[in-house]
Amino acid sequence: MLDKIMKTQLFAWIDKRTDAGAIIKSQLTEYPAPKNLNYMWNFGSLALLVLVLQILTGIFLVMYYKPSAEATFGGFSVAFDSVERIMRDVNFGWLIRYMHAVGASMFFVVVYMHIGRGLYYGSFKAPRELLWIIGVVILLIMQGSAFFGYLLPWGQMSFWGAVVITNLFGAIPVLGEYIGQVLVGGFAVGDPTLNRFFSLHYLFPLLLAAIVGGHIHALHVVHSSNPEGIDLHKPEETIPFHPYYTIKDAFGVAFFLLFYCYIVFFNPQMGGYFIEVDNYVPANNLQTPAHIAPVWYLTPWYTILRSFESKLLGVAAMGASLGILFVLPFLCRSAVRSARYRPVYQIMVIMFFIDVIVLGYCGHSSPTATLKVVGQIATAYYFLFFVSLPFLPKFEKTKPVPEGI
Amino acid sequence: MTDQADQSRRNFLYVAAGGLGAVAAGATVVPFIGSMLPAADTLAAAKTEFNVSTVAAGQLVTIQWQGKPVFVVHRTPELLAQVDGHDGKLKDADSKDIEAVQAEWMDTPEKRKYRAIKKEYLIVVASCTHLGCIPLFKPTAGRKDWGDSVPEDWAGGWHCPCHGSYYDMSARVVNGSPAPHNLHVMPYNYTSDTIVVIG
Repeated sequence: MLDKIMKTQLFAWIDKRTDAGAIIKSQLTEYPAPKNLNYMWNFGSLALLVLVLQILTGIFLVMYYKPSAEATFGGFSVAFDSVERIMRDVNFGWLIRYMHAVGASMFFVVVYMHIGRGLYYGSFKAPRELLWIIGVVILLIMQGSAFFGYLLPWGQMSFWGAVVITNLFGAIPVLGEYIGQVLVGGFAVGDPTLNRFFSLHYLFPLLLAAIVGGHIHALHVVHSSNPEGIDLHKPEETIPFHPYYTIKDAFGVAFFLLFYCYIVFFNPQMGGYFIEVDNYVPANNLQTPAHIAPVWYLTPWYTILRSFESKLLGVAAMGASLGILFVLPFLCRSAVRSARYRPVYQIMVIMFFIDVIVLGYCGHSSPTATLKVVGQIATAYYFLFFVSLPFLPKFEKTKPVPEGI
Repeated sequence: MTDQADQSRRNFLYVAAGGLGAVAAGATVVPFIGSMLPAADTLAAAKTEFNVSTVAAGQLVTIQWQGKPVFVVHRTPELLAQVDGHDGKLKDADSKDIEAVQAEWMDTPEKRKYRAIKKEYLIVVASCTHLGCIPLFKPTAGRKDWGDSVPEDWAGGWHCPCHGSYYDMSARVVNGSPAPHNLHVMPYNYTSDTIVVIG
């Protein structure tokens, strides 16, 4: 198909002016991909798909959404009412909004799988350090974007989530209050906050698209890692990206859409995990909901924040828990990449995955004395995992890695 | 050509021109960040007038001042008595840690202890100093009414549902709470026996 198009006169005309043929060859039809990639390598392309879906649905939602906290005759707010109008009156509004809201959660599902794969198979190790670091930047922008977007419906969880998070910045010495004011734009979260969050919620995905471009470029310089975690030297160890991995990615997309569509059409709130029930209550600045919890994808970091008695320590630990991801490639000193050949690391990284799920569970539940201790232990392991990585090669006996694949 | 050029002179020009350009670019950021600070009409000193006689004895009312929630509590003699006897368990019993927890009118030890001009009426900003949630009012002492949501030696006060901070009946933070400070107070004055102007 692609080669037929590339033989047409029209393509020749374009090629002469853009060098499109050479790009297609180097990036697709002759781009060497390891032949042994498993299905864990599908999540990168899925993340790209969800990003496109989010931008697309977002653009259409903005045609009806109004970012104003001004009160309406119904006693709610312009923003809240406009979201309800999208749900009830706008043609297919319900579908586009559910696609967007479910898409946000699914974005984190695929990205967390993608990150988990990188951790397990050591994809972050040399020469892919910068590729990993760009990925961490993408994660942070995604989290920011999700946080800004969550305020827009102006429900109780939107409002109080924003109050809690903007208050976090108050803990930063000297500059804290100033940063808080710049974020909120007033004495308290209100109309100016909603407007600027809307602006930033529109900006961040565009940044994301650009940085994802950088992520893919960096990938295509150093090439994909593989489940064995070894460098490939022989041409028979690789296959061209197109058609072999485009078709495998397309298969993954079909499988993903099966889940995505089931949730969008039959279970969009996902039992309060994807859309919190409290957010269907209009924002009330005089009443805090009985239990405030962020959406599931931010709860692990929320638990880390809650595990400290001191506000400043909690905020610092939360920042450090994300910041430490940047230095991971330099903390991990083992010459072997894949956990398949690192018995100790394999146990540690699987425990780390469980640990993050435990952190997430604690952050989602209302705080009790037991859960607080569980959360503190899980927080300790989160950091212990990273801090012990430099010392691991001293006593870990790695298995021999294969010569080739 | 380059052989004849004075390289050190040229380097100086590069650095000077580049440096000035960077300063100009940096200066351009000022108005953009500045525009994100609260606008003039938002800042315009907003005052709130309130009639404290509308608050029944023992009752708590939440009102709004500058978009922030504010507690007005009518403390009965029993509730006032609960303020005493636990200074050792407070992070900042005299409200001296930061500016926001004290006010000019705190000119006597009594006003400092009760954190109010008229000790019957406590008026404080209702945002937990940890992360801004509105604490729940749990005035009676002990666990009788509140179960194990409060400590065993509960003296009565506020409990923040978000992260479990405790405040006593003068809105002073109890040791072991994640909140760093007492609930904030604000300037206010009584224009008559019962009318208070906040702000």
